[in-house]
Amino acid sequence: MYSSLMLSRAGLVASNLGDDIAKLWREASPQYLKGARDTLILAVVATAVGCIIGLLCGILQTLKYSKSDFVLKKIFINVIKVVVRVYVEVFRGTPMILQAVFIYFGLPYLTSNALRFDVITAAYVVVSINTGAYMAETVRGGILSIDRGQTEGAMAIGMNHFQTMVKVILPQTLRNIIPQIGNNLIINIKDTSVMFIIGYAELFAAHKAYVGATYLYFPSAVVTMAIYLIMTVVCSLLLRLWEHFIDGPENFNLATTDTLALTSGMNNFPSGKRRRAR
Amino acid sequence: MSVILDVKHLSKSFGENPVLKDIDFTVSKGEVISIIGASGSGKSTLLRCINLLETPSAGEILYHGENILSRNVKAPRYRSHVGMVFQSFNLFNNMSVLKNCTVGQRTVLGKSREEATANAVKYLEKVGMAPYVNAKPKQLSGGQKQRVAIARALAMEPEILLFDEPTSALDPEMVGEVLAVMKKLADDGMTMIVVTHEMAFAKDVSTRVIYMNDGVICEEGTPDDVFVNPQKEETKAFLARFRDKG
Repeated sequence: MYSSLMLSRAGLVASNLGDDIAKLWREASPQYLKGARDTLILAVVATAVGCIIGLLCGILQTLKYSKSDFVLKKIFINVIKVVVRVYVEVFRGTPMILQAVFIYFGLPYLTSNALRFDVITAAYVVVSINTGAYMAETVRGGILSIDRGQTEGAMAIGMNHFQTMVKVILPQTLRNIIPQIGNNLIINIKDTSVMFIIGYAELFAAHKAYVGATYLYFPSAVVTMAIYLIMTVVCSLLLRLWEHFIDGPENFNLATTDTLALTSGMNNFPSGKRRRAR
Repeated sequence: MSVILDVKHLSKSFGENPVLKDIDFTVSKGEVISIIGASGSGKSTLLRCINLLETPSAGEILYHGENILSRNVKAPRYRSHVGMVFQSFNLFNNMSVLKNCTVGQRTVLGKSREEATANAVKYLEKVGMAPYVNAKPKQLSGGQKQRVAIARALAMEPEILLFDEPTSALDPEMVGEVLAVMKKLADDGMTMIVVTHEMAFAKDVSTRVIYMNDGVICEEGTPDDVFVNPQKEETKAFLARFRDKG
């Protein structure tokens, strides 16, 4: 008796939730979808820019000088390294929500309005340089993980530091850090929600606006959750595809022009079709 | 015979620890020099100093009379004339066999794609790896990797080729194919310095053998001088140890 009562009550709640979500979708789906779109674009662009910043910082941190180099070059390299370190420590070590406040409200305040970003630019700048700080460490780790022999192989055929980096080390680093790039992209999709602090209208802002007007907290949260999850799962699938693309095919083709390659495996035996035709 | 390399009073220490002490020797065109000696005797370090992968602590390395240790000489430029084959192959893992052999020609020598490819295929044929142009290094066996590494070095058309224990990382059944390629190069008149533990190769193929012990050149001469009539006690002891093992 009691359990059937509970069941019917649960059914009632579920149908209520269904009704509320349907109502929400009828009334506000354009706002949610626009929010989702803006979230996604911000996350993708900022992650890409962050990767470029991270690659640059990662390369700068691996610069080396030898004892015989000129003093100025040594000083220059050390100054660059200190600047990169400070950037990484500051932007990795403070909350992004406060970085947004500093860039959007702080810059005009400090420069008497001479330097101010609009909301959209500020959001892109903050998320990009924040991601860049994390990526700098990721890239540095990625470069360190490449066997020293790869560098020596490149140096032995006469490549300089820059050519070695671009042709040999960074392509392998990039392959190794794709999972981490994926991490950053997914974190960015979710964490861009803190940009509501400067009024950037992304998915979480759409949720806040809707519940402010209707008090449908939970149904809206369900919808927003679902949209976030769809975006992150799709992104993670796409990144997997990218990894497979970079890895290339598992097997390779022997160049058939070489007569030495005509091993038994390459002879054409009569196929089943032909036999049947006979 | 013209002298290509002239090593004078070369020394190298890692921290307080001297690895090479006052090394002197010359390399002339067409010579095949084997450097033998126990592990830790400084053979590999000597080779790496010649290619500037290690910076010598003191001394001079004259390449056609020019000291490559002076500040004015660009190391990459010099290295492109001196090929190197490593114990652990060091093929570029992100590139196909063909790309491994063309990338240096294109970025360092500035050759066109067609020219670099034709050249690479020529040398890959020489080492018997032409059918594998599309393979990635991870798809090859150790012996195949090392042959590609030799082709990559040859494709730069170096004046001299350095081998740093090229067969030490290989399974026994793959040593032969790499040594065969090296013998072919020697027969073609390539100038080579080979650090090796393959005594048969040192004996049969090289024109000169250097025995190193404890950071100095202990004994030097034709293969007959060193293997049949060694003069120094250390050389005799080293060769005896090898005979016992072999």
